[in-house]
Amino acid sequence: MAHARPIATTRSATGIPTPRLAIWWIVASEVVIFGGLLGVYLMHRIGHPEWAEAASHTQTWLGAINTFVLLTSSFTAVLAHQAAEKGKGKEAAKLLGFTILGAMMFLMIKSYEWYGEIAAGYTITANTFWSFYYTAAGLHALHVIAGAIIMGFIAVDAYRGRELHRVEIIGIYWHFVDVVWIFLFPPLYIAK
Amino acid sequence: MSENNDGHDDGHHVNYRGIYIALLILFLISVAGPEIGERMGLPWLTLVTAFGIAIVKARLVINNFMHLAWEKRIMKWVLATSVILMFLMVAGVSPDVMNHEGNNWENLAAKEAVQRGLAEAAGYSDEEGEAAEEAEVVVAAGFSAATSYGQICATCHGAEGAGDGIAGAALDPAPANFTDLAFWNDPIRTDNVRERVLTVIRDGGPAIGASALMAPWGALYTDDQLEEMVDFVLSFRPNP
Repeated sequence: MAHARPIATTRSATGIPTPRLAIWWIVASEVVIFGGLLGVYLMHRIGHPEWAEAASHTQTWLGAINTFVLLTSSFTAVLAHQAAEKGKGKEAAKLLGFTILGAMMFLMIKSYEWYGEIAAGYTITANTFWSFYYTAAGLHALHVIAGAIIMGFIAVDAYRGRELHRVEIIGIYWHFVDVVWIFLFPPLYIAK
Repeated sequence: MSENNDGHDDGHHVNYRGIYIALLILFLISVAGPEIGERMGLPWLTLVTAFGIAIVKARLVINNFMHLAWEKRIMKWVLATSVILMFLMVAGVSPDVMNHEGNNWENLAAKEAVQRGLAEAAGYSDEEGEAAEEAEVVVAAGFSAATSYGQICATCHGAEGAGDGIAGAALDPAPANFTDLAFWNDPIRTDNVRERVLTVIRDGGPAIGASALMAPWGALYTDDQLEEMVDFVLSFRPNP
């Protein structure tokens, strides 16, 4: 039994494989974290007409490019999942590599954007709008960083043809990070 | 890239490339819509294209990329519970967050933040020992009643004076609709209407017995500018 898998990875009362069940639980808890943050932002935004001025300084085009980058990285992540299901480990690893590249582009654009904002004096303590802006986008960026790092480990394994089921798991997480951005983009960049 | 984009997971087929293209098209609409909405003064277009399309995009990703559509039903219930709890929390705190006063309470800090923020937005920095003269100079430098109305009043009273500004949607009582004859026929302003409007803009709603949500703006303007603001507001008044 030296090579037996731990029971926890195979047994499931729900009929959902345990790793996938676990990532769905993480997503369910993240819904409350990001949903709560966004909900509180929207309520404050409606109660504070003066935020319109602060919000008018966010850079729509950088936010839009980042939306495109994340949507594309979600596409490569789902193609990686598809390749993994067909047992094509190398193909899956390559596609995860593209996804990580997308994560890095997203973070570089975000850094450039924040550099400009901070240089112009719009820091996290400037007013409550900017506090929300940096908290929401910053928490999201932390998720992008965490996802990219984990994806790196999974891509290495996938390249060697090991643990291919994990490609789907990191994919679900990554698409959720994409969905969070889909909801952060309108209030922070377009319907300000 | 893969030569074949049909997904084969538990027997379901998803055209991933098609979904991706649909997401990009929706994304372009969600950027263009609010731009057009803003230029044409159509707040509903902005809201629908920005937030409505976000929901459609999220559904596409969740169902087709995360494969929730094919997931066991219990997981959908777990996620739905999360979403419902989140909405309950938001709805529960919304009266305290969105209103700045209630029957027995008043959020002075929030009210001051609104006034200070709007004053700063109008080009006036609210320092300790605020110097009204300084404010007059700053505003006078580029003053026009229409611009000032657009920057300050329109957020609640709407660009066309119909009381339909985005920030005003949540206010109770609702912001005044200057295009409504009933507003002008209200007894609190029928007598010497010009003086009444001037008083409200300068000293706030309570000065004539109207809503305290209408803040005083007197510190921002010279007397002449206030008169111009009154003219501008009166220009919305319909002919009886």
